[in-house]
Amino acid sequence: MKRFFYAMTALCILAAAQAPVNASARDYIYIVGSSTVYPFSTTVAEQFGKAYGFKTPKVESTGTGGGFKLFCAGVGVEHPDISNASRAIKKSELETCAQNGVKEIVEVKIGFDGIVLANSKKAPVMQLSRKDIFMALASEIPDPKGGAGMVKNPFKTWKDVNPALPDVKIEVLGPPPTSGTRDAFLELAMEEGALEIASLKDLKKTDEKAFKKVAHSIREDGAWIDAGENDNLIVQKLLTNPNAVGVFGFSFLDQNTDKIQGAAVNGTTPTFETIAAQKYPLSRPLFFYVKKAHVGSIPGIPEFVKEFTEDKAWGPQGYLADKGLIPLPDAERASVRDAARAMKLLSMP
Amino acid sequence: MDAFVSAKSLKGPGKPTQGDRSVAGLENKSGMESQGLGGKTVGDVHVADPRMTCRHVNVFYGDKQAIRDVSIDIGRNEVLAMIGPSGCGKSTFLRCLNRMNDTIEGCRVTGTITLDGQDIYDPSLDVVLLRAQVGMVFQKPNPFPKSIYENVAYGPKIHGLAQSRDELDEIVETSLRKAGLWEEVKDRLQQSGTGLSGGQQQRLCIARAIAVNPEVILMDEPCSALDPIATGRIEDLIHELREQYSIVIVTHSMQQAARVSQRTAFFHMGDLIEVGPTDRIFTRPRHKLTEDYITGRFG
Amino acid sequence: MNKPFVTTSSSGVSSPSRTVTIVQASLHKRYRAEKRFRLLGLSAVICGLAFLAFMFVDIISKGYTAFLQTMVLVDIDVDPGEVHVGNLDQADYQGLVKKSLEKLFPEVTGRQEKRELYALVSSGAGTVVRQRVLEDTSMIGKTIALWVPANDDVDMVVKGHVERNLPESERRLGDRTLGWIEALESQGRITTRWNKTFFKSGDSREPELAGILGATAGSFYTILVTLVLSFPIGVAAALYLEEFAPKNRWTDLIEVNINNLAAVPSIVFGLLGLAVFLSFFGLPRSSPLVGGLVLTLMTLPTIIIAGRASLQAVPPSIRDAALSVGASRMQAVFHHVLPLALPGMLTGTIIGMGRALGETAPLLMVGMVAFIVDIPRGFTDPATVLPVQIYLWADSAERAFVEKTSAAILVLLAFLIAMNAAAVYLRNRFERRW
Ligand SMILES: Nc1ncnc2c1ncn2[C@@H]1O[C@H](COP(=O)(O)OP(=O)(O)OP(=O)(O)O)[C@@H](O)[C@H]1O
Ligand SMILES: [Mg+2]
Repeated sequence: MKRFFYAMTALCILAAAQAPVNASARDYIYIVGSSTVYPFSTTVAEQFGKAYGFKTPKVESTGTGGGFKLFCAGVGVEHPDISNASRAIKKSELETCAQNGVKEIVEVKIGFDGIVLANSKKAPVMQLSRKDIFMALASEIPDPKGGAGMVKNPFKTWKDVNPALPDVKIEVLGPPPTSGTRDAFLELAMEEGALEIASLKDLKKTDEKAFKKVAHSIREDGAWIDAGENDNLIVQKLLTNPNAVGVFGFSFLDQNTDKIQGAAVNGTTPTFETIAAQKYPLSRPLFFYVKKAHVGSIPGIPEFVKEFTEDKAWGPQGYLADKGLIPLPDAERASVRDAARAMKLLSMP
Repeated sequence: MDAFVSAKSLKGPGKPTQGDRSVAGLENKSGMESQGLGGKTVGDVHVADPRMTCRHVNVFYGDKQAIRDVSIDIGRNEVLAMIGPSGCGKSTFLRCLNRMNDTIEGCRVTGTITLDGQDIYDPSLDVVLLRAQVGMVFQKPNPFPKSIYENVAYGPKIHGLAQSRDELDEIVETSLRKAGLWEEVKDRLQQSGTGLSGGQQQRLCIARAIAVNPEVILMDEPCSALDPIATGRIEDLIHELREQYSIVIVTHSMQQAARVSQRTAFFHMGDLIEVGPTDRIFTRPRHKLTEDYITGRFG
Repeated sequence: MNKPFVTTSSSGVSSPSRTVTIVQASLHKRYRAEKRFRLLGLSAVICGLAFLAFMFVDIISKGYTAFLQTMVLVDIDVDPGEVHVGNLDQADYQGLVKKSLEKLFPEVTGRQEKRELYALVSSGAGTVVRQRVLEDTSMIGKTIALWVPANDDVDMVVKGHVERNLPESERRLGDRTLGWIEALESQGRITTRWNKTFFKSGDSREPELAGILGATAGSFYTILVTLVLSFPIGVAAALYLEEFAPKNRWTDLIEVNINNLAAVPSIVFGLLGLAVFLSFFGLPRSSPLVGGLVLTLMTLPTIIIAGRASLQAVPPSIRDAALSVGASRMQAVFHHVLPLALPGMLTGTIIGMGRALGETAPLLMVGMVAFIVDIPRGFTDPATVLPVQIYLWADSAERAFVEKTSAAILVLLAFLIAMNAAAVYLRNRFERRW
């Protein structure tokens, strides 16, 4: 027993001796942000670590908003150097950044992510329009019987929404409100779908706020099921329930083409090519943002940017394409690359 | 540490207390009063040259009073037996004498108790020192879950009574011998004390108490778990110890009280009813309750 | 007092024979009740075991293949033109591997085709060659036959996780690649081996290169900090509250608070850690030090409560015994009470550590949910922990991470079982009876 206590005391002292190491120096790049960009960012980080002899960057998956919160908190070793985002930085975020002294930001657009509606291979491929998606999933829709005003969504099956669709129950498994994929889905599918309805298009002109509210409210009567942040889980649930439709990022479809298939939206199926050519309507750009003030004090930031913008990384044949990143068109890629390597600053508000 | 021991309340001798309440309804058989103390105890509570004196001791467990205004002396080289029906407060009173009541939450002691003229409830008195002088054997045997040797050696060790290992060995052996346990355990001193039989455990506890060489030994029914032979041995030990120490023994056996003690105190419902030389108490009790108790006409 | 207890006929106690008949009549019912209860208990235990067995079978059946890795045998020409003493570190070893693949399938010429061919082996194959050459530079200029890891897609096909006879459009690997795999298999150039990489490396985006050593090291440092802080503090707090503190309103308040803290969701401790350790004290984010501090906050209440319970379980007669021979309060506690309570405290501590080992939510707040490749070497290096690694892999799109996830769960379970076994051992080793 006594010896045990001596051992514990020794450990205490050891740990205490270790503790006061402060955070004054950091010799690795610190990246935060979107979980959608996370797989790409980490792949580049790993390659960069191997190729350049720097320490491998640390990548935290905090979500786009959470990433900017950390990124904009200030300049200094305890703050991140790079923030990943599945949307462009907002004006309000830029303002916070500026207030905290983060005034030099470089924006790098890295490619696209498609949002797919997929179902099991055991069921036929769905042919949806964005209007169908809105009519099936919005919690309130314009009265389908022709009356004025909004009614609670009455549709039970896809066939109710559109006679061309199969006669199966509407069951959509999708990401929860905290997810960036959900935001993108609301913006790209629901909002655009609502705009295809005349009365709502008018509403947008008169009352933007009310329109947003309609377009962004998802059914809560069981037709839409929040399936958690884990997209793999959605894929698995689709396999056991061929009637269900899942909403997730393209890379999960790409990895599971033997089991699931993407629904055609407005006549285009989600494939690498259709998204890259920007034919598939539900796609969004992905970015990362660099804090220029850290270049020089944190080693390797220009090299990391260089690695990311190399064609062997983000090009159509690059290793990020294998991970599901859909590359920018050639011309845009070239211009973004040049701007990024020259550390061209984003104009601040 | 002793924060919950309340300030003592000193009362002058002869000052009337709740005495009349506690003896209400009881007939004072002989009409003889103790000399001025509390006015309720029959017989003389004083001894010449006492080792310990107790004056107007009251003990409360929360609101409940367990000892009422008890005054008694404990002489040198004397064995004082405490008898009385179960729950009358014998153990409680005994625990006052080495301040073991300090450890019981909500227990309050008032009055004055002295050891060799020094007030043991005085804040300046060190309770550790007191307990080294006033040893105790509990009603239920409570050996440490350690070896037999460790059990006996613990007290001398923490007080630094032995200069060397040999000296310690000697203390352990003599203590165990005195307690009449040596022959039974000498070959297994390193075995656990809790592995002994109930009676052996009790003797181990006695050995543990006498190993620190105290001035007063308090024994709470030390023989309740022992067979007649072991009892006899403990009684012999008590005789022997009397030459050096004062001993207070609680017992339910009249015969034992008669055999080992010089004075006997009879407690009843928290009151000290009668005190006197043992042979007188057992032959000519003065109080009706005492008589009823020792003749077995009780309850 | 010493009179025998006499039962009189008027006291209402019935005659012995009647008692016997009444008792006998009720015996059957009593035994039946007991039997029912036993059955209930037994079925509860069986039910629990069944769930456990189901979980284990599921995880093991999914995870065991992660302990194997598909390897491809390639003959590498260590070309002195590519590799020489001057560039041993930086030479294009992956290029050597690519060349050897081209030699195996000389008919492949197209650019796209070649890309697919190169994708047969892992991007870590070059590292294997590099290691081999660095070990023995006399290899330069020779041809060496070397087993290199296959790419994760190939690994999945070889392990049978992806069916080969699906139509081409439904597979990630095209017919061409499948043909190569079959050719390699027929030449005996494909095998599955014990996956050392899984235990020897940190995280990676390539499933075949990903390992759990980084997370295990992170868990080790984090738990060490937690243990070293929470055990002494917890024991000291429990001792003080139980043995020394006066019992009054303040200590009651403290007790209520501690009990409440034990039930607070763990993420709250993460937020607290973010505010205190990172923002106020400026300790390094993502470090085992901060993670350990947060987990210390989380486990302290558990340890204090367990510690107090085991102190209370020590019979007061032991304290009395020590005090009566003149031990001070402190001596009584440290010589007698604490040794008796320690097994219980250790059990509580280890259970607390087990919980800390499986915790992710509070670590999210202090930045330990991160992609970290380098294996942490100290308490302030960025690190992640096993459960976080599981969480990150479970969220990865690559199919091969599914089995890695299960395998990491198995490793975590093994640690938990080891810790609980240690708790049982310590309890039995030090437990004393009174
Ligand atoms: N810790 C305690 N808290 C409250 N009441 C107590 C406590 N200990 C004893 N008492 C009460 O004080 C009274 C005296 O108890 P005590 O143990 O002194 O009796 P006793 O004379 O030793 O009896 P016995 O012969 O059965 O040992 C009893 O009524 C008992 O219920
Ligand atoms: Mg008693």
